[in-house]
Amino acid sequence: MTKILLANADKPGQNTIAKYRERGGYKALEKALGMESSAVIDEVKASGLRGRGGAGFPTGMKWSFVPRNTGKPTYLLCNADESEPGTFKDRFLLEREPHLLIEGMAIAAYALGCHLSYIYMRGEFGFLEQPMEAALEEAYKAGILGASVLGRDFALDIHLHMGAGAYICGEETSLIESLEGYRGYPRIKPPFPATHGFLASPTVVNNVETLAALPWIITNGAQAHAAIGTEKSKGTKLFSVSGHVSKPGVYEVDLGYPLLDFINNEAGGIPNGRALKAVIPGGSSVPVLRAEECQGVLLDYESLLKAGSMLGSGGMIVLDDTAKMPEVLSVIADFYAHESCGQCTPCREGTGWASKVLRNLVAGEGTKADVDRLLKIADMMEGKTICPLADADVMPIRSFVTKFRSEFEALAAS
Amino acid sequence: MPKFTLNDQPIEANDGQTIIQAAQDAGIDIPHYCYHPDLPIDGNCRMCLVEVEKMPKLTPSCTTMATEGMVVRSSSERVKEAVRGVLEFLLINHPVDCPVCDQAGECRLQDYYMVYGLHTSEIPLEMKVRKRKAIDLGPMVVLDQERCVLCSRCIRFFEHVTDTGEMQFFGRGDHVAIGTFEDKPLDNPYSGNVVDICPVGALTSRDFRFKCRVWFLHSTDSVCAGCSTGCSVRIDHRDGTIFRLLPRRNVEVNQSWLCDEGRLSFHELQTGERVVRPMIKGRDGIQAPVTWEDAVRSIDSRLKEIREANGAGSILGFGSPSATNEALYLFKRYLGGELGATHFDFRVDSEDTNVAEEEDQVLRHFDKHPNSMGAMKLGLMSAELCGIEGAIKAAREGRIKAGVVIYFNPLVRRRRDEEAEGRVLELIDQLEYSVVLATHRAEWHQSASVVLPVAAWSEEEGTYTNFQGRVQLAGRAIESGGDALPVWEVFAMLLHAAGAESPWMASDDVFSTMTETEAAYRGLTIEQTRLPGAVVVE
Amino acid sequence: MIEFSEDAKQRYKRILSHYPDKRAALVPVLALAQREFGGWISQEAAEYVGKLMGYPPSDVLSVATFYTLLHTKPVGKYHLEICRNVSCWLMGANECMDEAKRVLGVRAEQITADGKFSWNFTECLASCGTGPAMQVGDRYFENLTPARLGEIIENLGND
Repeated sequence: MTKILLANADKPGQNTIAKYRERGGYKALEKALGMESSAVIDEVKASGLRGRGGAGFPTGMKWSFVPRNTGKPTYLLCNADESEPGTFKDRFLLEREPHLLIEGMAIAAYALGCHLSYIYMRGEFGFLEQPMEAALEEAYKAGILGASVLGRDFALDIHLHMGAGAYICGEETSLIESLEGYRGYPRIKPPFPATHGFLASPTVVNNVETLAALPWIITNGAQAHAAIGTEKSKGTKLFSVSGHVSKPGVYEVDLGYPLLDFINNEAGGIPNGRALKAVIPGGSSVPVLRAEECQGVLLDYESLLKAGSMLGSGGMIVLDDTAKMPEVLSVIADFYAHESCGQCTPCREGTGWASKVLRNLVAGEGTKADVDRLLKIADMMEGKTICPLADADVMPIRSFVTKFRSEFEALAAS
Repeated sequence: MPKFTLNDQPIEANDGQTIIQAAQDAGIDIPHYCYHPDLPIDGNCRMCLVEVEKMPKLTPSCTTMATEGMVVRSSSERVKEAVRGVLEFLLINHPVDCPVCDQAGECRLQDYYMVYGLHTSEIPLEMKVRKRKAIDLGPMVVLDQERCVLCSRCIRFFEHVTDTGEMQFFGRGDHVAIGTFEDKPLDNPYSGNVVDICPVGALTSRDFRFKCRVWFLHSTDSVCAGCSTGCSVRIDHRDGTIFRLLPRRNVEVNQSWLCDEGRLSFHELQTGERVVRPMIKGRDGIQAPVTWEDAVRSIDSRLKEIREANGAGSILGFGSPSATNEALYLFKRYLGGELGATHFDFRVDSEDTNVAEEEDQVLRHFDKHPNSMGAMKLGLMSAELCGIEGAIKAAREGRIKAGVVIYFNPLVRRRRDEEAEGRVLELIDQLEYSVVLATHRAEWHQSASVVLPVAAWSEEEGTYTNFQGRVQLAGRAIESGGDALPVWEVFAMLLHAAGAESPWMASDDVFSTMTETEAAYRGLTIEQTRLPGAVVVE
Repeated sequence: MIEFSEDAKQRYKRILSHYPDKRAALVPVLALAQREFGGWISQEAAEYVGKLMGYPPSDVLSVATFYTLLHTKPVGKYHLEICRNVSCWLMGANECMDEAKRVLGVRAEQITADGKFSWNFTECLASCGTGPAMQVGDRYFENLTPARLGEIIENLGND
């Protein structure tokens, strides 16, 4: 399998610019700068690269929505607010491959005509603040950033902006609102960030993994990228796997790789001789799959959708047959209640209510009516809010309760 | 002008209107909490969700533009179910303390519950999120965080209308609460407005709270008499007592707002002692009550004696910028038209003619009278006297012998009012013969030759002309006590006593006569003085 | 009256220089203020930041209360935040929290008598493969066990 992102990440000390250049780093940027910016966009479009943050929107198309010559600056924001439970793949890149990200950002900025860019990194990654600042500093010193990128007539500044603890800020309009110095309340769309984003200017928000894939695409060409993966899911994807597996960690596989092979091979299988019970394939927001539903499922956008779940962020949580599903859901529901920004009524009230009903059930104080109540709350929340956080709570609630209903009812009966 | 259908009814929207705005203009109410016509759109409450054909999800009607050919439903089962859900969510953490809540009767939670909810609470009391109650936010506002639906109207008011930002959200998720920094009292001359715009019982009025259940109140449309802005208001009253003033939305004047001083101005009417009977000073220097008939006959004959002796130029008409146009019109008609008086003025204060000078950027003007512009339009400004100082001087020098003075206590007081009152006293002292029409007793009471009790603002109907030249009708909410009469009626009686035509039965009769004879008001009808009022031009 | 140190003033200027709009600097400046003024945003600190940047203190405090890493109540010198989310929970996060409570002798969000420690749960730290995880300021501690947590607390306490 091709390694677009993790070819060198396992080797120690790859995070310096010297090491990065030794293995051809920043050559892709050089190449991109020699192309028309529109040609770079075309290349990315042709590569089939889709947003790796969770939504899977085609990156080149997202870029093409940005209007030119508006008289306003265009901003590129790197979404490094990785907070989706089960997801730790961006952290892996930020720690080990800061220059891969910087090069990707520089390529994207050039394509978009952007001269000021930010890495919005979640505040919890305080331990990465200094290393990332150091990498940016190196890039400035090497003439990769600054008034003249690689000696060309193209200026680019990238600053690191630390968040301060809010899952919702990974949602792109919330990220922008937060970057502007406000409470991270998601914005009503339209207008979309492509035209009215950061400081009401055209803005593109891309995930770390998405941006880090760009140097490879520029170096090897769109066709090489499009040759990897499935018909609609091109390239490779990082999966961070945790829970009941022998080798939790971050792995890069071609899109379309079989889910069960991934669990059994890359992740080392289920330890202690236990059996697989369920998989949350793409971060806690996506519907859970029962073990039997995983048969034949491939790790790509379409296959997972067909199976009734989503690829999401690639944050895979594996549960063995000891897992108590009501308790798992209770933990998940607590998370959404804690992270709801509180702006829209259904999410603010619904996530809190669902979490309390679940706690009550898990404590053995619930009733059968509570099981249906959870589904009712899910119906009341779904599709009625500004951003998808409520829906991100709805998906686990509905899938857990319907797929493992007897476990919930057993709790109610006791 | 996009045409669309709402619940199968064709509607033509204005360009740039959202669905909810176009619906409201068409008389269809879509339930909502956070939407307010005079605040920026926020879209947080999710109560105004509607179904739009070809859109997969329900969409908030406050954020969705009405576009050509759109097919919208606000009353389908799907929408009702969604609205019911939002309402249920809003109530799960609500304390449901309606019996002790002052918002009862005008609470959107109660109202919508009756239409959409009627569900049984599914959350046990101990599961509810508890927040703080009865937080004192200064002289106007009391905050109950538990009753708040977090619609952010108050926050947006302080952010966008007064640009001061006192109220904010604190916390996150279902623990979000509104408040001020360290519970600081709202030190803002417009803070009372957040009570009006709060759709629930979270922000209640410190002044009005627990005084009266709102369903016992009667409402009368009026105009605030607190300054030359002339904000449209509603007087809520019961059994002859005013309980509160609320702004009426007038996009041309005050939008939905009212300043705190104006809001509380009615209390000024209730302070001090009222003049209740016509009084005439006898030869012994002591004032004795008389009937209106005797008072009117006496005034008319005495003024005519003075005119015969000293000429019409010796009679002064000193009006009030707080009197209605109808009052000032008949005042002028009697003294000028009938007696031939030439000296008219109304200015007790330098502010009175600077009607358009702003006290702040929101509503207030320095001139604390509702009708200075009206007095000016009626030409009650003597170039010779130039206000009260000139009148005092002329009286002291004997050029003016008699004066008819209308004096209303200012409803919004300023420090300079005492000096102004002193000048009125001095004028009355200097006059040989003085007729004072007043609402409240004051120092000059003993000096005046005749004191006539008149109706105060809210006790009579009439029009005021605000700083823009906008004529607006103020209704009569309550009765005046004693024998007090509206000022226009006093002069109608004087005209009658003088043998002149006096056909007016009500203030709007006077208004229509005025529109026939006064150039500034020509062609106006009383209907045009209702919301938003009509601007008269020179 | 509190004030930024000279070093913090330099940092403040540097932060401002990163943004075309001053407001965008608010969250980083609040983080700076928290570091400067004892690990939390007191009302005094909110007023100071508000005055420094030209925003009402209510506005500043409102922003601070949105973000979990900005504390608007005092915390210990070492504030232990233990992830309670699924992967950490599967690996024994609850036992670690129980241990923190036992060793420190205080409930969540309370500060030990010596002012050195406080603890709380936190949500996913992106350490799902190495859980249970804990954040203490700018440091992560991973693969926790109750015993290892005890050692960490002891080491921190000896600092």
